[in-house]
Amino acid sequence: MNKANKIIKVEGLERSFPSTEGKGETQVFGDVWFDVKEGEFVCLIGHSGCGKTTLLNILAGLDQATSGHVIADGFAVEKPSLDRAVIFQGHALMPWMTVMGNIDFAVSSRWPAWDKEKRRAHCQQFIDMVHLTGSENKKPAQLSGGMKQRVGIARALAIEPKVLLMDEPFSALDALTRGSLQDELLGIIAQRGQTSFMITHDIDEAILLSDRIVLMTNGPEARVCEIVENSLPKERTRSDMHTHPNYYPMRNHLIEFLVNRSKSFREELASASYDPKNPPVVRPAADGDTLNQVAS
Amino acid sequence: MSQDVKDRLKAMVASIGFLVVFLAAWNAFVVAQSGPAADMDPELAALLGPQAKGESALPTPGDVGSEIWGHISNPFYDAGPNDKGVGIQLAYSIFRVLTGFGLAALIAIPLGFLIGMSKLAAQALNPYIQLLKPVSPLAWMPLALYTIKDSEISSIFVIFICSIWPMLLNTIFGVASVRKDWLNVAKTLEVPPLRTAWRVILPAAAPTILTGMRISIGIAWLVIVAAEMLVGGTGIGYFVWNEWNNLSITGVISAIFFIGVVGMILDLMLGQAAKLVAYAE
Amino acid sequence: MGALSNVYDPEEILWKGCPCGLHATMYEHQAALSGAEGSRFYAAESTQGTAPRDQGPALETLSDLQSPASQSEGPSWDNQEEVMVNVAKSALLKGLFGTDMNRRNFLRAVGSTTAAAAIASVIPIDKAIANILDANGPLEKTNLNVGFVPITCATPIIMAKPMGFYEKYGLNVEVIKTAGWAVSRDKSLSGEYDAAHMLTPMPLAITAGAGSAATPWTMPAVENINGQAIVLATKHLDKQDPTKWKGFTFGVPFEYSMHNFLLRYYVAEAGLDPDQDIQIRVVPPPEMVANLSAGNLDGYLSPDPFNQRAVYDGVGFIYKLTKEIWPGHPCCAFAASQKFIDETPNTFLALFRSILDATAFSSAAENRSEISAAISPKNYLNQPTTVIEQVLTGRFADGLGNVRNEPDRIDFDPFPYHSFAVWILTQMKRWGYIEGDVNYAGLAEQVYLATDAAAVMKDMGMTPPTTTYESYEIMGKTFDPTMPEAYVDSFAIKRG
Repeated sequence: MNKANKIIKVEGLERSFPSTEGKGETQVFGDVWFDVKEGEFVCLIGHSGCGKTTLLNILAGLDQATSGHVIADGFAVEKPSLDRAVIFQGHALMPWMTVMGNIDFAVSSRWPAWDKEKRRAHCQQFIDMVHLTGSENKKPAQLSGGMKQRVGIARALAIEPKVLLMDEPFSALDALTRGSLQDELLGIIAQRGQTSFMITHDIDEAILLSDRIVLMTNGPEARVCEIVENSLPKERTRSDMHTHPNYYPMRNHLIEFLVNRSKSFREELASASYDPKNPPVVRPAADGDTLNQVAS
Repeated sequence: MSQDVKDRLKAMVASIGFLVVFLAAWNAFVVAQSGPAADMDPELAALLGPQAKGESALPTPGDVGSEIWGHISNPFYDAGPNDKGVGIQLAYSIFRVLTGFGLAALIAIPLGFLIGMSKLAAQALNPYIQLLKPVSPLAWMPLALYTIKDSEISSIFVIFICSIWPMLLNTIFGVASVRKDWLNVAKTLEVPPLRTAWRVILPAAAPTILTGMRISIGIAWLVIVAAEMLVGGTGIGYFVWNEWNNLSITGVISAIFFIGVVGMILDLMLGQAAKLVAYAE
Repeated sequence: MGALSNVYDPEEILWKGCPCGLHATMYEHQAALSGAEGSRFYAAESTQGTAPRDQGPALETLSDLQSPASQSEGPSWDNQEEVMVNVAKSALLKGLFGTDMNRRNFLRAVGSTTAAAAIASVIPIDKAIANILDANGPLEKTNLNVGFVPITCATPIIMAKPMGFYEKYGLNVEVIKTAGWAVSRDKSLSGEYDAAHMLTPMPLAITAGAGSAATPWTMPAVENINGQAIVLATKHLDKQDPTKWKGFTFGVPFEYSMHNFLLRYYVAEAGLDPDQDIQIRVVPPPEMVANLSAGNLDGYLSPDPFNQRAVYDGVGFIYKLTKEIWPGHPCCAFAASQKFIDETPNTFLALFRSILDATAFSSAAENRSEISAAISPKNYLNQPTTVIEQVLTGRFADGLGNVRNEPDRIDFDPFPYHSFAVWILTQMKRWGYIEGDVNYAGLAEQVYLATDAAAVMKDMGMTPPTTTYESYEIMGKTFDPTMPEAYVDSFAIKRG
């Protein structure tokens, strides 16, 4: 996997806002370095306030970094691109358009030359994929929360992006719906080999979906604490993953981070061994083989 | 019979009940006001009106009803420049309102769009809009008559100037408050600005714009009556003034009835249009 | 030469400098036509002789120019028809030959008698001359808008429409009902109305720039004399004495109105200061009755039919007719802009004639019932015919239980005496509507077209008054139009 093409490279990214007292600037995060390789699913975990959404917006091209840059497929990201689809936290569907209309709006932006028939057929394929067949002509207001987010997923994937960026896409859903959608997303992504980057604060979601997990400390001045490699086998599902011996080491490591280290990591940062360009990579597993300093 | 139909039927019966009670009270009031005819020299009596002989100045509902029926049964007669059927007069007023309103919409909506999309423009122009908005439309009349030198165009101008503000403000507000998510969706889809305006901002702001249009046409209809009373010539406002000139309360009440009906129809039409562009989130 | 020449004489110089051939230069021609003493728009037809006052510098030049011609044979100035025929012939030949040199060469070559016959064979000269004499020239426009405020003062302007007086003079006039005088003034100033019904003080105020931008305005004719009244609310039956009116609120239809000036005059004669002891409010005439009935007004001096309407509706009584204050006072006027007269003189003349004709018809007592029926409908006054008939015939209920008979309650007399204007100006000065030195006679003669009215009336077979200045006796006080400033000074109650 290390040899795989890096689709996204985040290099020394920093974002500051004018401070509320009107004097100087407050840095939300800084010196952020990580990457997303082709076909990989990377999650970013952190508490609210560490600038997760801001980071995703910079990746999408909707926001500008104060310094540093994002390289997507070899080019610096300056503005949004159809190559990077976004699934928003709120579903962000246009309420005056039908399910078909919302997806078609995206498809016709991607392929303006396509005729209506061709677009329809393409849209239908993705509506079927998220199991919304029969709801094509419904307006978002007539759909449940889960169904709305399925439309969001279909809309994002319908433009066949190189990277799928997701900002806590399931956080507004109830636990049951969230679970089934996670399973579905896992299936779709695996099947399509879709390169994905997701922001979440849900540990189980991260363990289920991701190949690697970027841990971000609390803001302001948030940093990448370390990068956790998922030690569970690829063929995992929500129902059976907790039976794997590596599940609890993974989970405990992440909980430990969220509960304690995310706050106290400032001291660790000060130690000479921390290199922001190559944050420590860990692989929590039952056999105790945890530390794995791999140069990226 | 479903509950919904039953409720509507009940409301209708209550509505009719209110009307009947109101008309009966009105009639009783007028009858009570009329004193007995005074004993009068017939030669003198011939020179005086019914009121001077003890009748009430107020007409009965029946008088008003037959007056309204008289107007409805012959709405388009033309007996000279100062005496035309109520249909023709209403047509003049509606034409003026729609012209002034239409011109205002043509300017207010695109302008509101531009201002709404730019925070700077919104802040720079806001003081002027706030200053001009509360000016009574009729205060523009002397200025319009003096500069335009044509009472017809002046009336249309007054309608224009009074209907532009609610539409402008609502368009600005509607455009400025389009959800950021929707704009971000358009951005990530690399939708060009014009297509974003047309496919995203316009439909998103349409309900707010329509509300502004609905307020505007209501004001325009209020103002045209006053403007025509002032300038005269033609239109339903002139019609009211002409009846008032004859001190005909019956005529004035029937004119109020027609003004109300047309105002209601104009509002209903925009209400229907608002339904078409409404969306639930 | 010119109008008195033999047009077939090759030695006569016909068209030297100006169109009529009477003047050496165009400048002199213009000067004669617009001479201050003469008629400004009427000169085109009456040219000379009919001008009311045969004097002034411009006309002296004219008589100098005439003298050689009048000694020669041919038509004389005494026979106006012959003069006109000759002018017409001259105009026709000019059309034929273009320049005077051509005409003279042609006549020398063929001889004048042969020439006359030859020309007559190609042009129906008699018919052409008849056409020229028949009218004052073609009407520049025939579709006119004339504004009126729906009151009986406007009777001649209104009835001229249903009774065909405008048509008689080839005009298609729409009489447009107007909500009030301010609107009437604004629509006249903006040119929407070609001419309009105004109040006699208004053209003076417009010309002087009081209450609006100064614009030269003219008043060719008065509409009505008398015809207004002081009406009091029924509750003031016991106050039929102006000394008891302290604290009253009165309505008048307009600031620049005879109503305002007569009311002020009347209460001031009773020792009340109209600006302090009573309140005077401008109220549109139709709203007078409702305000009286609601108690907002104690009384008003207003035009009819709203005086009679108060009686008809039982809310007030007629306390005093204005003819009892000043018998024969002017009230409303037929007014037009100077621009309308200058740009369309023939149309204006036709309109003027129809108004004069209609005014004469309205003045005759035997026509009043017929007129009442013609102007009562919705298109005109929109009033019960009984009300209008009581106003116009002068047999009316006064609201005190009497039926009075005053045939001259309202009358119609078009002549715009300059002295009317002077009196109005004295009152405007007296009450502070105009300030500083007032050129009473100058303004009066500029705005009130008495001289023109006299000329047209004479031409129409009417008998105009011989003087444009008269002296009046108003409530026992004499007004001498030659001493306006002394008149203003003589009042005890006045402004300034």
